[in-house]
Amino acid sequence: MEHPRVLLRERAHQIFTTAKTVAGKAEAEIMLVSRVDEYLRFGNNELAQSQYSTSRNLSVRIASEKKQGRVTTGTLDKASIERTVEKALRQARESPEDPDYLPMPGSQKYRSVDRYSEKTVEAPAELKAGHIGSAIDLAKKNHLLASGVLGTSVEHVMMLNTSGLEASYRGSGGYFSLTMDADNGNQTGYALSTFSDIGELDPNSVSQTALERAKLNKNQADIAPGKFDVVVDPYAWSEMLIFFAVSASTGYSPDLGMRQYKEGRSYLSGRLGEKILGDNISIDDDVYHPNQAGPPFDGEGCQKSKVSLVENGVFRNVVSSRISQHRYGVAPTGHELPLPNPLGELPTNLVIRGKGATKTSEELIGELDKGLLITRFWYVRETEPQTKTVTGMTRDGTFLVENGEIKRPVKNLRFNQSLLELFNKIDAVSEPVRNFSEAQQFRILQPGILARDFNFTSVSPF
Amino acid sequence: MTVSNHDSVISTKDLGEELAKISFDLAKRDNASYAELRLVNTRSEAVTVVNENPASEEASTIGVGIRVLYKDLGWGFADTDELEHDSIRETTKKALALARGASKLGIKVTRASEPAHVDKWATPVKKDPFRVPTETKYEVLQETTKRMKENDVVARRGQMTFDFIEKYFANSEGSKIFQTHSYAGVSAIVAAKGPTGVQRRSVQQNSGGGYELVDEMDLPAQALEITKDVLALTHAPTIGEGKSDIILSGDQVALQVHESCGHPIELDRVLGYEANFAGRSFLQPDQLGKLQYGSEHVNIVMDATLDHGNGLGTFGYDDEGVKAQRKYAVKNGKFVGYLMSRETAPRVGESRSNGCMRAEYYKLPIIRMTNVSLEPGDWDYDEMIEDTRDGYLMVTNYGWSIDQKRYNFQFNTEKGYRIKNGSIGEMVRGPTYAGITPEFWNSCDAIANKKSWVLWGTPNCGKGQPGQTMITGHGASPSRFRNIRVFGAS
Repeated sequence: MEHPRVLLRERAHQIFTTAKTVAGKAEAEIMLVSRVDEYLRFGNNELAQSQYSTSRNLSVRIASEKKQGRVTTGTLDKASIERTVEKALRQARESPEDPDYLPMPGSQKYRSVDRYSEKTVEAPAELKAGHIGSAIDLAKKNHLLASGVLGTSVEHVMMLNTSGLEASYRGSGGYFSLTMDADNGNQTGYALSTFSDIGELDPNSVSQTALERAKLNKNQADIAPGKFDVVVDPYAWSEMLIFFAVSASTGYSPDLGMRQYKEGRSYLSGRLGEKILGDNISIDDDVYHPNQAGPPFDGEGCQKSKVSLVENGVFRNVVSSRISQHRYGVAPTGHELPLPNPLGELPTNLVIRGKGATKTSEELIGELDKGLLITRFWYVRETEPQTKTVTGMTRDGTFLVENGEIKRPVKNLRFNQSLLELFNKIDAVSEPVRNFSEAQQFRILQPGILARDFNFTSVSPF
Repeated sequence: MTVSNHDSVISTKDLGEELAKISFDLAKRDNASYAELRLVNTRSEAVTVVNENPASEEASTIGVGIRVLYKDLGWGFADTDELEHDSIRETTKKALALARGASKLGIKVTRASEPAHVDKWATPVKKDPFRVPTETKYEVLQETTKRMKENDVVARRGQMTFDFIEKYFANSEGSKIFQTHSYAGVSAIVAAKGPTGVQRRSVQQNSGGGYELVDEMDLPAQALEITKDVLALTHAPTIGEGKSDIILSGDQVALQVHESCGHPIELDRVLGYEANFAGRSFLQPDQLGKLQYGSEHVNIVMDATLDHGNGLGTFGYDDEGVKAQRKYAVKNGKFVGYLMSRETAPRVGESRSNGCMRAEYYKLPIIRMTNVSLEPGDWDYDEMIEDTRDGYLMVTNYGWSIDQKRYNFQFNTEKGYRIKNGSIGEMVRGPTYAGITPEFWNSCDAIANKKSWVLWGTPNCGKGQPGQTMITGHGASPSRFRNIRVFGAS
């Protein structure tokens, strides 16, 4: 990958000077984001879709007389910037007063985060193609088809406002997602690895995991639905745990913010201090965790704090913002979304952890007397908000385990399971890993688990 | 009328012609066997009110996506939002470099032929949304959320979105196509908390066109209805588990079509290119013309033409320059056709793509649904209810889930009613139904007629890696299914 265009501080200041001039007496905030993405996508043992993408995005917020407008553009010549600010001014004029309007925050101090890897930025397409070629060769040797993607992205963010705030961030990351399959998807194995530094990626381990699971996942046995003890692979539930933090009942809006909590919109409203999960489970929001990603500031540029949301099963805190400080007198934690934001605050960097020593996935399987090993959940949706009941399917390898050993593959199952109930029945956890899902971009560090009584309700024909 | 891009100082068509020539000259010199360029200039606006809090955002993007095929062996794609000539050359070179690399791990590409089109096309619009002041939009939404304000109501939301897209497409085979697309979306959600927990009611529609959708939807009037519903749901009983006849509302049938027909007929899934994320399909090429996908009443079309309606899947040409078409996916219950691209069509013996490649300019086009619609039947809706002795009417989706081959599904709906002896009775909360796709569609014995048929819009269809979101259309009318597994949401 080529070097991204560096978001020079001077360039952001040039844009900001133009914005301030056009804004006149109004308050102005700019956020400039520059990205470079390179993805090599393969399917059917072919490198089928390779793409390279560069983008710049300028978002301008204008506030005047308690009214706000936001306009974004990808065109950064002087005339376009002027037009963008003029549109934001017009939009602010035509908007009603925002009852939560606050003057823009001033200069902030930020704790630094280091999540920019030169190796990732410099990684050439040939390196990725080599990893993919090896995976395809391995699949071919075993009469399987490889499909997936290996991609990297680099992001620079810079934020300035007329109260003197200046914030900047740069980060890199990527993922290698691989499926090996045969018999029109009736025999599949899946593996995933995420990284900030591409040097962390072990492509052979990803390929071997997908291969082993695909080889095992053949001629699946019939199985009757019911409650099963389970081991969930840490990467298996990248689409599921987001439902701790958002609810379909309010239109997929966030739950764990102070405004939602106080207004009664959250499924946990009124339950602070209650024990909601097992003693051995804690959940933080912690952007500073070494395996987390993203900037250390929120949508209006305020520094993020680490927040203990659930401590040893007890619901301790929600995240907050300057608006919640103004409304309710609570300390802000730096979890505002870009303003104007009528939805409320959002924890963006969840870390789910168990108490005491973690176990390896093999140890978790070894402790399962009789139950199922789940390697991937799929198409998870909320069915009931109060108990956080979700439905979804298993895919790409569901295995019957007896006396701590994988015995045979079984057909894919549908589940209807309360997350609150499940997290009260966890006996052991593994070390958390970074999630990744194409379906949602929510940063969670999530462990694998050994848990009791997972509720499966029907079976697929394959 | 059509909307003009009064926001932009750029002539998308003229600039597109200029940039395409630069790109194609370079691609040809470097042995590309095919090249295409899309210049896309977009303006959008979203206005939202949640409880008493307003938020509005406008956005504009312009950029170029270039796709090249190297020696018929490997594809490469690159995009840029810098429109200077040097940048277009650099982006073309990047696409070529990726294509050359891919050719080492590729197979010979055979593409269905398509005539070179020199044409223009525009979404018909009655009322330009960008000429309606933002304050007028806020007035509608504030009145909507104001009318939802009741004891026990915990969340009130109204939203409208508008998109205007100028798209210039050209390819090295001589096509030069300029299209303008306009889309509108309107929605309202209300949630209430009571003895049965949190309940939700919503209304939503997305379509081609402009501000006329806001007038047609009349959100403030609907706000009263859904608020009355949601308060009743907080006291309504759930339903027991068992088998029952069900009638689904038109919007719920539309989502059922999307998930259990629209996705499995995507030919790239069938061929394995989506196996790692979106999944595969139970509909195999050797079942074409043979598999009884549904009952004889079931006819499902893939129709991107304006004759079908002004939907989210309506256009003049797709994103590889194939003219909009109408074809059957299911005819009298038989599975007869796929959504295809020029590259995949020959693999099932088709001589022409039916025009389903779609993506934003900064994404690689992949096979997407156009308007995939269930044709109306011959039942009057009221007669369908009267003809049902014992069952449930289920209205508007709450949650949806289906396995990666599109067999095993479960949908829960916001509200339902018991049907007894041909009459709609007691309201029930969160009625849910589940099944296996071919069994389900084979149990369909009644589809309401044209009077009840609506071309619904799905604005958030996810597929591809990295993830792409696409808008799709689905015409449907209320339909009845016999002996289906049902249960309550919790």
